[in-house]
Amino acid sequence: MRALALITVLMVGGLLFYGLPDFPDWGDPVSPASTHLSPFYIEQGAADTHAPNVVTAVLAYYRGYDTMFEAAVIFSAGLACFFLLRTFQQKSEETRLYRHIPTGVTLRIEEGGKTPAGSEEFEPIDSHWVPYDMIINMTCRLIVPFVQLFALYVIAHGHYSPGGGFQGGVLFGAAIILFAISHDLRSVFRRLQEKAVMFLSAVGVLIYAGTGVVCLVLGGNFLDYSFLAGMLGVDAVMARSHGILIIEIGVGLAVMAVMVMLYYNLSSAGRHDEGL
Amino acid sequence: MTAHYSALLIVVPLVVAFMVTIAGWIDKRWCFPLSAAALLATFLASVGVLAEVQQNGVVEYFMAGWEPPVGINLRVDHLNGIVLVAIAAVALLNLLGTRPIVEKTYADRLGAFYTLYILLVTGLLGITATGDAFNLYVLIEIAALTGYALIGMGPGRASLSSLNYLFMGTVGASLYLLGVGYLYLATGTLNMVDLAARLPEIYDSRLVLSAFILCLAGLCLKMGFFPLHAWLPNAYAHAPSPVSSLVAPLVTKVMIYVMVRVMLTVFTPVFAFERLQLGGSMVWLAVIAIVAGSFLALSTRRLKRMLTFIIVAEVGYMVGGFWLGNRAGISGAILHIVNDAAMTFCVFLAAAAIQQRNEGETIDDLQGLFAKMPVTMAVFVVGGLSIIGVPPTCGFFSKWYLISGGLAAGHYGFVAALLFSSLINLVLFFRIFEIAFFEPFTDHHGGHGHGGEGVHGVAIEEAPLQMLVVMVTAAVMLFALGLYAGDIVEGFVTHVIPAGIL
Repeated sequence: MRALALITVLMVGGLLFYGLPDFPDWGDPVSPASTHLSPFYIEQGAADTHAPNVVTAVLAYYRGYDTMFEAAVIFSAGLACFFLLRTFQQKSEETRLYRHIPTGVTLRIEEGGKTPAGSEEFEPIDSHWVPYDMIINMTCRLIVPFVQLFALYVIAHGHYSPGGGFQGGVLFGAAIILFAISHDLRSVFRRLQEKAVMFLSAVGVLIYAGTGVVCLVLGGNFLDYSFLAGMLGVDAVMARSHGILIIEIGVGLAVMAVMVMLYYNLSSAGRHDEGL
Repeated sequence: MTAHYSALLIVVPLVVAFMVTIAGWIDKRWCFPLSAAALLATFLASVGVLAEVQQNGVVEYFMAGWEPPVGINLRVDHLNGIVLVAIAAVALLNLLGTRPIVEKTYADRLGAFYTLYILLVTGLLGITATGDAFNLYVLIEIAALTGYALIGMGPGRASLSSLNYLFMGTVGASLYLLGVGYLYLATGTLNMVDLAARLPEIYDSRLVLSAFILCLAGLCLKMGFFPLHAWLPNAYAHAPSPVSSLVAPLVTKVMIYVMVRVMLTVFTPVFAFERLQLGGSMVWLAVIAIVAGSFLALSTRRLKRMLTFIIVAEVGYMVGGFWLGNRAGISGAILHIVNDAAMTFCVFLAAAAIQQRNEGETIDDLQGLFAKMPVTMAVFVVGGLSIIGVPPTCGFFSKWYLISGGLAAGHYGFVAALLFSSLINLVLFFRIFEIAFFEPFTDHHGGHGHGGEGVHGVAIEEAPLQMLVVMVTAAVMLFALGLYAGDIVEGFVTHVIPAGIL
């Protein structure tokens, strides 16, 4: 079996090398990839979309249909994770830790013991809880807002510099996950419920597809943002620019929510009781 | 609105999929009606597009209003028109038919189930409708990812099978992507028609040959072409039954459509058949696939697993028929894409109904089932007869085209393999009919103590009404497809085949 795998790998490698002599030279200005379509995008992109970053113009406008499905792929990944992992039954209780809030005393309740669940004075704490994590807590609390601000910048500045919804969304999600790791899963849930995360992920992609549908209703083709001009009160070029921003925001929301959803389900094996 | 039918076909289910997720968190009762409405709209749109194709020829839709090669286009002609209708019909019927099972099994995650279901269908429709080679890959990703999730939710070893499918599927899709990358390197475009226009000058380039091999290998892996089928039986047999009756009829067939599309539209028959002279060896591989699939089906006594091996053999039919490279063979292959989707759906849905009522999954557990579930078994018989190829069911007609294609090409090995496989299918299905009809019902779980008393103690215990109606519709479709096979070939399939092919 191993020999067979090795032979397959060698054959694929051989095939890749076989094609090598006919590759255009690196950076060749007359290669087909640089002469057929690229000149159009480079010359027209900024004029059509008011986005100096050609990559953004191609991704979010000329080939926006692809990008919509890429966002849908990310959404499906999050949803698949929820679908496969989420368990709604609570795990049969093993040893549990509770903290008495007024005194700070920690109770350890063995399997089968009576838990103070529902009491106002006790809060559950993770079984591998570290008692003194003030430095980590405070540092992360300080960092998180800046990471989020930067994420917003990356989303909004996608027209001009590398960035956009995917990158910004990942950063935003990472900020929330950082908070979850430095605190615990319950404190994140208090701020961002599972329901809200699911909702945001669907709404994010829906903003993208919905923008396309609005263009369609206004008489254009699907995702032809220039038909938003009347609604936004700008000319066609600026309408495309705004259209790109709208869908980038949608992608950012979806990606952020999916990152968080993946973390929720993977870190707690779908039980949503205690995380990493 | 008619101008937008081809876009609505994909946009409507996509948008509704996200709404279903939201509905799942607000009120679960909305999930099913929303999904059904979306798929019904999709089905109507697909029929609308097909009618338009029939009238005016190729329908094109430019996403974002940009003509290819700048933007992405949808391009529906006679070939993908009928495949789109088949996908939409099977997806809608399966959604309606399996509702009782789904609502029982996934009560706590109904929104997620229906969202993934609709996204899978959207992916398959998008693959079929697109005119862009890279966009096709993106949609393969959607269809595959949602498929892995749905299959992985099955009982027992389903998650392991799904993981295996994930690995193999990813390898297949990546090979295809690599091939598309090579094509872009060689031509600077991703649009299929534009590729076909720019490729002939550089047919001698090693890049084109590498791209061809990579694409074909990737697609063969995705369609489960023997010996690259190893992921298929486990994934399809262990999948939850509402999912296997969606995935088994559609996914492999759509991948075969992609192969036909890539060969006919992108590389064109000039390159695929005449320059490379690959036809003969591909047909021999198909012969091996047919024979091996039939033997493997004979070797198992588990019902769903047996059906999955029949799929492996059927993939061989279509690949072989296409690579015969003559008019009858290609017609047979394309007709069989539709017919096989219908008959696989029919038997898998019946198997789902049986599995729900009857515990145990081997064919020996089917004893006395004709008395217990007469309608389900009748539908199963019709599906079985169609797979065997008994007239007037549709299976006969596509097989007829395939065999006459084999004779016209003088490829007697392929003809022999088809006849052999029909014989094996005869044995397979009559073995089941015999057990289900003649052997008395025994309670093989022994719990109630009336085991072995014969059929007198058996009350009719049919599948839910909804499921029965859908199953009977599917069975009637098999006859309808058979009776109108000539019209389908005349009206649609002949337009697909390039004039150069005799």
